[in-house]
Amino acid sequence: MIQKKICMLGAFAVGKTSLVARYVSSMFSDKYLSTVGVKIDKKPLSVDGQDLTLMLWDIAGQDDYQTVQPSHLRGMSGYLLVADGTRRMTLEVARQLQVKATAVAGPVPFILLLNKADLAAEWEIDEPGLIKLVEQGWRVVRTSAKTGEGVESAFQLLARAMIGGPR
Amino acid sequence: MAEKAESAPDETGPDEQLASLRAILAGPERRHLAALQDRLDDLDVRARDVGEVLPQALLRHAHDPAVARALTPAVERAVTSSVRRNPKPLADALFPIMGPAIRKAVAASLAGMIESLNRTLEHAFSRQSIHWRLEALRTGKSFAEVVLLKTLLFRVEQVLLIDRNTGLLLQHAHTGAAGMKDADMVSGMLTAIRDFVQDSFRASGDVSAHDALESLKVGDLAVWIEPGPHAILAAVIRGSAPRDFRRVLQRTVETIHLEFGEALESFDGDASTLDGSVSILEDCLQTEYRADDRKGHSRAAWVLAAVALLAFLAWAVMAYRTGAREARYLAALRAEPGITVVSTTHEHGKFVVSGLRDPRARDPHALLAGTGMEGSDVLGRWAPYYALEPSLVLARVTDVLQPPDGTTLVLNDGVLSATGTPPIAWVGEARRLAPLVPGVTTFDAAAALDTSTRAVISRIERRTFLFAKGAPNLASGQDEILRGAAQDVRELDALAEASGLRFRLDVMGHTDADGPAESNLPLSRARADVVHAAIGRDASGRLEIVIEGVGSRVPVVLSQNEVDKQQNRRVTIRVIRPAR
Repeated sequence: MIQKKICMLGAFAVGKTSLVARYVSSMFSDKYLSTVGVKIDKKPLSVDGQDLTLMLWDIAGQDDYQTVQPSHLRGMSGYLLVADGTRRMTLEVARQLQVKATAVAGPVPFILLLNKADLAAEWEIDEPGLIKLVEQGWRVVRTSAKTGEGVESAFQLLARAMIGGPR
Repeated sequence: MAEKAESAPDETGPDEQLASLRAILAGPERRHLAALQDRLDDLDVRARDVGEVLPQALLRHAHDPAVARALTPAVERAVTSSVRRNPKPLADALFPIMGPAIRKAVAASLAGMIESLNRTLEHAFSRQSIHWRLEALRTGKSFAEVVLLKTLLFRVEQVLLIDRNTGLLLQHAHTGAAGMKDADMVSGMLTAIRDFVQDSFRASGDVSAHDALESLKVGDLAVWIEPGPHAILAAVIRGSAPRDFRRVLQRTVETIHLEFGEALESFDGDASTLDGSVSILEDCLQTEYRADDRKGHSRAAWVLAAVALLAFLAWAVMAYRTGAREARYLAALRAEPGITVVSTTHEHGKFVVSGLRDPRARDPHALLAGTGMEGSDVLGRWAPYYALEPSLVLARVTDVLQPPDGTTLVLNDGVLSATGTPPIAWVGEARRLAPLVPGVTTFDAAAALDTSTRAVISRIERRTFLFAKGAPNLASGQDEILRGAAQDVRELDALAEASGLRFRLDVMGHTDADGPAESNLPLSRARADVVHAAIGRDASGRLEIVIEGVGSRVPVVLSQNEVDKQQNRRVTIRVIRPAR
């Protein structure tokens, strides 16, 4: 059984925790996020016939008052960046977090999750900006905590990238 | 001369000169080179050369990890292929190791079981135990488990080996029941908390970069954390472990880094490379109990054992005594004629004896005396029967025949006989009835008849009939004697009839010495006739009566006074028994 540590990063209130809640097994309550700043869940999955356990470090959202502790990112094999499609500012935070993560863990695979895909009408993030990111090598998945859209495939994508590519 | 010699090569071409110069200068080296080249080209030679130095090289570099790394894949493949081809050689080689290892594991497991059993026994009857039983009921734990926890000084329930970098769980050892469900999530969280604590306090300047969280305490549980360069050891401890235990954790971290350093360094999510470290972790799973409590409870256990032993002894003695009493009663029953014991059993605390009993046998309850048993202890189930023991047969036949006074019945081997002088009528009746009584085959009348016959004969022969002087007339008072004699003769006749014998009665007449013999002889005969007429009237053919007159030839007394003469004037009877 292969285990991998992955992190989930994003601005405050982009819906990280509720996004994965239905897809992971959990033993710690959400209050750890606001106290310790991290909560750990487990995501078992199978990629190309290989069983894999992702230990998902759900890291408290970054805002003006709270910054991500670098020690939490240490040793991760990949990460999910979460941004809120209805708030342009959260994409900017995601960009900063990506830089920070690369500084701590190196160029490990990551996926940008654009959350709240169900609220397309209130979408603030425009296509051209996203295309620019994709051109820089980012992988972007639209997700919805409400419908579950994109979550499972995001885990699959990340897992495949971690197993296939260098650490 | 020297000049000539030097100039000689000039006559040949420059190439040839160079070649010969080379041959002169480098000839031996070239030959060496050629030989070396040959050796390098020849595979056999090279193999031989390498074979010669290889053991030496391996010995010299035995401690070089690179050698082990280089050899490992080949050795692994060789072993795998060997096992696939024929597992027996390897199995044979491993056998001496496997046996002791398996024995050790079984012994350890047994010891654990016995420890748990002992502890439960020690505490099974103490005052506290009721309290603990209630707790076990309330918490749903087994009683043995509650006892263990209560007497526990400390127990290391889990040991987690955590990758320092990722917080991923590398290996996990735990005592049987206490396995943590999501140790992997816990190990991640523990790492996060450790980082959190370190980051938080380092920022305030209270702790240095080298300080880190060493332990956590929650209720009765503590988590001791021991960091190593690549991995962290976390021990979950119930109770309070001594400070020395920290050293155990340190040694464990060191050992694991020593033995699995490379696997730890290159860990990439696959923890199977560290499977071998579990046994090292398991050495940390230590347990210690309160010594004083154990002593107290072991005393209680001793007292309990002693009481149990005494109770058992008392029971055994009672059982033995009861058994002995019953055996005595049975022996008495078996010795008693007319009682046959068929089976014995116990019903509702009573000793039940079943069998056969002759109505004339003694009451079985009467036999209880001296056995130590009470009538209320025993229940008899007796079926009636005729016992053939001689004493009982005799009693039975005595009841039936009612022998007259002076007559005693004797039973010998089924043959009944009578002593004494029973009346002849009774003898006839006895002869008829006795064989009808169970246990009697025949009645032997001969003895009884013989006795009676002898008595009658004696009575007859004792009598003397006296006569008047000079005449065949009975003296006065002799009639009575004659009637008795007649009665006796009739009885003798009946006895002769009963026993089938014949008798001869010689009736002999006598006179006194007065008068001449010619007259005395007829007189004596006439006197005998008188007696014969009186006694022989009813005699049957079984009695032959012979009359004889002997005159004065056989006097009773020889003197000649009148009194003596009267004694001689007489008739006597002699009974002759026939020869058998």
